[in-house]
Amino acid sequence: MTAEPTPQVPYCLRLPAFRSVSWQQWLPARLPSLPPGDIDLDTADWSLSCRDLDELLHALHQAGHSVQLLVTRCRNTLISAAALGLPVREASNEIPTIEARDDQQNEAITNVDLTVHRGTLRSGDHIETQGHLLIVGDVNPGGSASAEGDVYVWGRLRGRAHAGSKGNSSAKIVALQLRPLQLRIAELVARGPEEQPQPGLAEQACIQDGAISIEPASPPFLPQ
Amino acid sequence: MTNSRTILICSGKGGVGKTTLTANLGIALAGQGARTVVLDADFGLRNLDLLLGLENRIVFTAQEVLAETCRLDQALVKHKQEPNLALLPAGNPRMLEWLKPEDMQTIAGMLSERFDYVLIDCPAGIEDGFKNAVAAAKEAIVITTPEVSAVRDADRVIGLLNTHGVSPVQLVLNRVRPKMMANQEMLAVDDVTDILALPLLGLVLEDEQVIVSTNRGEPLTLNGSASPAAKAYGHIARRLQGEDVPLMDPAKDGRRGIRARVRQLMQTKIF
Repeated sequence: MTAEPTPQVPYCLRLPAFRSVSWQQWLPARLPSLPPGDIDLDTADWSLSCRDLDELLHALHQAGHSVQLLVTRCRNTLISAAALGLPVREASNEIPTIEARDDQQNEAITNVDLTVHRGTLRSGDHIETQGHLLIVGDVNPGGSASAEGDVYVWGRLRGRAHAGSKGNSSAKIVALQLRPLQLRIAELVARGPEEQPQPGLAEQACIQDGAISIEPASPPFLPQ
Repeated sequence: MTNSRTILICSGKGGVGKTTLTANLGIALAGQGARTVVLDADFGLRNLDLLLGLENRIVFTAQEVLAETCRLDQALVKHKQEPNLALLPAGNPRMLEWLKPEDMQTIAGMLSERFDYVLIDCPAGIEDGFKNAVAAAKEAIVITTPEVSAVRDADRVIGLLNTHGVSPVQLVLNRVRPKMMANQEMLAVDDVTDILALPLLGLVLEDEQVIVSTNRGEPLTLNGSASPAAKAYGHIARRLQGEDVPLMDPAKDGRRGIRARVRQLMQTKIF
C-alpha cells in the first residue's frame, strides 16, 4: 500500500451566467487570477457540445490548468463531458449544511446530505460527491465512486471507490459484495484482495492500524 | 414507414465482428422478407461493401446524397442475389471533418422512409464516428467477445448509449468457444451478462468459415450454409423480428457425443 500526499482542495472556476457574455471573451481576463495547477470547472447552466467543451478545456490547458472535475446543471454538458472522459458531477440546487467538529485531522462530517445514485456505474463512469454516497446498483470494473464521507454500494463493488476523499480517515466503504479493483480511504490506497468474498456476506473496508482492512459489515452506518 | 427500425451495431472494441454481424444480419433479415438497408458509418476505414462483395458496384456514396449531387436511389446499391437488401456506402474519409450528428440523422431519416430495417455499422471507438452514428440510432445491438478487454469496452459503450437515450440495447456474444468455456479458460456467458446486464440477443460460435466468406465477399447467411455461425446469425435475425428462438447453451454443446463433435469439428475446423 502506498501513502499519497493529502489532496489540496482544488480551486473551482465558475462560468458567468449562460448567454450573459461569451466565455471566449470572458476567460482571458480571468486566467491571470487563477492559482496554478488543477482546477474544478463549474459550468452551471451552460449548454456545451463536445466541440465547445473541448475548446474550453484546450484554452484552460494552454494557460497551464487542467480540469479534474466538471460540475454542471445542464444535461447536454453532462453528456459532452462523459463522452470526453471527464469526471463530472451534476450540481444540485440545494446547499448541504455542514457542521464540522473542531478536530484537525479527522473531521467528522455531520448533518450532510446523503447523495443517492440509482443505477449501475459502468466502465468509465465516475461519480464524486460531498458528504456520503449511496449507490443502489453495481460499480462495474472500470467505474469509480468518490465521496468526502462514506461510500455505500447496495450491490457489487467491482471497480474503484474512494471514501474520505478530502482526508477523513474514519470514512469507510461498505458493499453487499466487496470485490474491488482498488480501494482508497483518505490518503491510503489498497489493491483489491485476490480471494473471492463469501457469497451473501456484506463487507466493509476501513482504516485500522494505519492500513485499509476488510471485515464483515457492521453498524453504525452514516455516522451521526 | 412508421414501424421502421433503426438499429446501431457497435462494440467499442475493434475487430469483434460488427461489420460481419451487420452484413450477415442484413442478408438474413432480407431473406426473411424484410426490406433492409445497411449503412456503413465508418468513413475512415470502410469495409461493409467488401464483406457484401459490392465494392465494384459503388458509384455514389452517402456524401453525395447529403450534398444532393445525386438522389438516394442512385446511391443505394442493391445486393446482386438478395433483392430485399441494399447498401448505402460510406462517404469519403474527408467527410469526417464536416459531418455532424444532424447529417447522420438526415440520412437515417431518409432511409427509414423506405426500409423496414436500417442497420448502421458503427466504427470502433467512442470518438466522433461513434457520436455521429449514435445520433441517428433508435436501438442498438452491442457485440462483444468473451474477453476481458472487449467486455470492458462494451460496458463503456453501453453507458454512453444509455446517456444518449438509445433503447432497447441488446447484446450479441461473438466468437464463443464452448470447449474453452467448459475448461474455464474463457469467460463464461454468465460472467459477461453479469457485468453488462443486457438481454442476450444471440450467441455466435467461433467459426473458420467466417474468414473464408469475408475474403470471398459472400456472407455466410447468403447460401444457406450449415455452419454454426450462419445458423446463429439466422436465429438472431428471427429473434430481432420477435420470434422466440431458444438460445444455444455452449456448456451443453461441449458435452455432446463423439459423432456430433466430429461433425462440428469438420464444419468449424476449430479445435
